[in-house]
Amino acid sequence: MKLKVWGARGSVPAPGPEMNRYGGNTSCVELELSDGSKLIIDAGTGIRSLGVGIARSLPKINILLTHLHLDHIQGLMFFAPCFSPDSEITIWGPSSPEASLEERIARYISAPLSPVEVRELPCEVNFRDTPPSKWEIGPAKIRAEAVTHRGPTLGYRVTDEDGTTLTYISDHEPGLGAPLETLEPEWISGFDLAHGADLLIHDCQYTDEEYPEHVGWGHSRLSDTLTFARRVESKRLLLFHHDPLHSDEFLDRFHETARERWAELGGADGAVEMAAESQEIQLGATAGVPAAT
Amino acid sequence: MAQKPIELILARNFLTSLSTPAFLVDVGGALIFYNEAAGAMLGISFEESARTPAEEWSQTIGPFDADGRPIPIEELHTTKALRRGRPAHGTFTMRSVKGDAFEIESTALPIVAEGGQEGAMIFVWPRGKSRDGG
Repeated sequence: MKLKVWGARGSVPAPGPEMNRYGGNTSCVELELSDGSKLIIDAGTGIRSLGVGIARSLPKINILLTHLHLDHIQGLMFFAPCFSPDSEITIWGPSSPEASLEERIARYISAPLSPVEVRELPCEVNFRDTPPSKWEIGPAKIRAEAVTHRGPTLGYRVTDEDGTTLTYISDHEPGLGAPLETLEPEWISGFDLAHGADLLIHDCQYTDEEYPEHVGWGHSRLSDTLTFARRVESKRLLLFHHDPLHSDEFLDRFHETARERWAELGGADGAVEMAAESQEIQLGATAGVPAAT
Repeated sequence: MAQKPIELILARNFLTSLSTPAFLVDVGGALIFYNEAAGAMLGISFEESARTPAEEWSQTIGPFDADGRPIPIEELHTTKALRRGRPAHGTFTMRSVKGDAFEIESTALPIVAEGGQEGAMIFVWPRGKSRDGG
């Protein structure tokens, strides 16, 4: 399995020279599976650049949406395959008792927010309301579970044919009202999704110092992300959903702190990384995976 | 053990933060958590009670009717109402593990998720005792 990050920012795009290395685009990750097929997770503004490259080469596209906050769907309107009649796009996302996935996405892709409507898109687009469930796309086994965030939100566990497993929980506050260090696993949001994953991509929007002013907003502080990753025994951890106020310089220092804290928790050296736009990670047999402790 | 549904996880997190004694039951009516306030009322924490066979400690703490006879959980009006997916309110007697009997009012609220009922939150108040203890 090969991963490419097209957007690692949270909340709102944050372009600017001080953000160039980690990038300003919002959440979007591309997975290349063992048979060469691809999956896209989330459609933040990062998906725009991804779409330019695949517009003509990939007629069947599956997009897994974690939830419908704007930083996870904003790029859909600018995703080139949506405007190609040859494209067949399936969008999976959390179901809601309020309205269908298509109806909820159409609130964004419609006037006055958009010049076109969903029904006007020339591609063939299918919407799949997704309750917590398991299914297969090509060689990948997908598991979706609801996780602690504001509004219906899914995390995804993707297992490739060779057993390589990636867990993506971009927006998650498992430590809200929950002592993660001591809580039994069955009471930890996202535990089963992330348990033993080769790579865990996880929300880490706030420093511990910033978090008290954002409790309940649905995002994690560093200490909770690290504790969660240790509890689920993920082999590698990619810190994701960077706060739009955090510059490259800030995130470099944040990474250093994360590595130190991870070591204090007994984690393997080199297992904690920062997600950055254009970053590629090879997982599985050919990848250099730090040894788990 | 299988992971609990997110609705029960969030309910537990919520109850943990309250000073109102509160219990969490699963869809089958089994007690799966109670908060520190309930633990203080009963004289036994959830963690301690989890190590005690359910029959043993439920015989000690109740619930009991007005004559002191144990009420089977299946017979509780709250249980019956929750099985129908409805809220319920009622009174009965409980005892702390030290033997102190107290009448309580309870309100049970079903937790209904997309796939159906997942369980219920049950809030209790010792009768005649106001929020400020007066």
